[in-house]
Amino acid sequence: MSAPSLPAAPPQTEVPWSLWKSQVSGLLRLEVKKYLLSKRALLLYFLAFLPIFPFLIWNLRAMLVGDLPDIAQASMFYAGMFQTLMLHLVIFFACVITFTNLFRGEVLEHSLHYYFLCPVRREVLVVGKYIAGQFASWIIFLICVVISFCLVYFPYGGQGLDYFTSGPAIGHLLAYMGVTVLAFLGYGAVFLFTGLLFRNPIIPAIVIWIWEGINAFLPAMLQKISVSHYLISLCPVPLSGGPIRVIADPAPAWLSVPGLLLVTLAVLFLASLKIRHMEISYGGE
Amino acid sequence: MAVFKRNYRQYDGPVTPAWSRFLILPRYAFKNVFRSRLLLVFYVLSFVPTIVFGAFIYLRHNATFLETFQVLPRDFMPVDAQFFFIYLSFQASLAFIITAFIGPGLISPDLANNALPLYLCRPFSRAEYVLGKMSVLIILISAVTWIPGLLLIFMQTNYAGLAWLTDNLRVPVAVLLASWLWIIVISLLALALSAWVKWRVIAGIGLFIIFFVLAGFGNTINVILGTQWGTLIDLASLITNIMHFLFMGEGLQGSIPVWSACLALAVLCALCLRLLNRRLQAYEVVR
Repeated sequence: MSAPSLPAAPPQTEVPWSLWKSQVSGLLRLEVKKYLLSKRALLLYFLAFLPIFPFLIWNLRAMLVGDLPDIAQASMFYAGMFQTLMLHLVIFFACVITFTNLFRGEVLEHSLHYYFLCPVRREVLVVGKYIAGQFASWIIFLICVVISFCLVYFPYGGQGLDYFTSGPAIGHLLAYMGVTVLAFLGYGAVFLFTGLLFRNPIIPAIVIWIWEGINAFLPAMLQKISVSHYLISLCPVPLSGGPIRVIADPAPAWLSVPGLLLVTLAVLFLASLKIRHMEISYGGE
Repeated sequence: MAVFKRNYRQYDGPVTPAWSRFLILPRYAFKNVFRSRLLLVFYVLSFVPTIVFGAFIYLRHNATFLETFQVLPRDFMPVDAQFFFIYLSFQASLAFIITAFIGPGLISPDLANNALPLYLCRPFSRAEYVLGKMSVLIILISAVTWIPGLLLIFMQTNYAGLAWLTDNLRVPVAVLLASWLWIIVISLLALALSAWVKWRVIAGIGLFIIFFVLAGFGNTINVILGTQWGTLIDLASLITNIMHFLFMGEGLQGSIPVWSACLALAVLCALCLRLLNRRLQAYEVVR
């Protein structure tokens, strides 16, 4: 007796964008809450609000001692803090923590199969989780950028307020927020991919961190093979750097922004290809 | 004997001596540790600097080489405390990466899988458990820090004569003390993180955050307040300061006093031990 044949699947004529959109929004509802309210988010909050601490000291010192530098120097101070501490340390490690664990975290919690058993394309899962990670990170870190930026100019009182209303401060703040968003987009995609590629993504994360760190001292050609070069090019206040720093021409915004977005899309595409063949083995963890 | 007549009998076979029971843990841990080929390659590569420094000492005393290339021993960097300070600083950074890779995975799986009672129901104390887990790191890091360091000193003494050793008696002591200081601090920190952070990737990254992000903030505080006391949260600088004192007889110029660096590290170690003590309980009583 021959086995009953299954009814043939109806041929797909068009891409089900509306279905994918509703699946992604469902994932967003589920994931953003997890990234913002779970215990694992504590480390992210710690990282995000750590940069505010030096600015509070800055305010305290201004109140107690009173010798404030020129407001232009305060802009330089913030630029230095943003480019070295926030971009290179805080945002970088926040991306490592958030995005390497989008899938590795599920494997370690033995919960990835729930997602894989759902009738959701794996590519949609990658996109949904990536967007959820982005939303959660933006919410936490953009608040941190705004608070720290305002704290720099707070001790200047009226002069600081003028810098916001009629000076370049609002433009600078928007630029820093934009750079933060782009940093999360770029590094986020890279670490999502390394999280899928390696069982222990610490070593690739360290290699990338060292590469991004020594970037300023590399030949101008090599500087262009990094995320930080394009991000620093977009910062509104350029820093002079040290004596051994190689000054490469900053990439123009029309190249940096689409370039970073294209790299992000390419890495997400690779991650989608990788996840199609992913098999879960909780036993090895 | 019928099966139902079999009942519990105490194990009466040979027993591991009490003093060496903690060594059972590294014996099993090493099997897991070197399953990662990436780590194995990195660990092997971490011996390369020792070979390079050893070759340097050899060439400095090799008459044929000096004659062939027409160089004098004084053209080379002198093999003294500074030489070994540089060597140990380099090896310590490699040891840090090894710890960041191995350390976070030592305790967290036992806690995540509720395996701790299986250890502690045996004649095995919590202190032995911590010592056993720590000895994994102690053995691996010793092999890249003080053991090759002392070998290089032996090699130099062999070529330069016993007079070199008597003139630089501070160097072997410094290599030993500085290495053990580094080993104890990073091992305790890694174990404390491993005990409190369930995911080893995050625990590993946590180690980097503690070392590098806090260092950044320490330096920022120094810049804002025009002081050096922000260095108290910069662990790498604290240890470098003490290492410099051990090798050169004085702390780093423009940094905090050596006693305060020692005090800060002692506080950190005590904190790590307290965190381990709180976390490593066989059972948790919930009222």
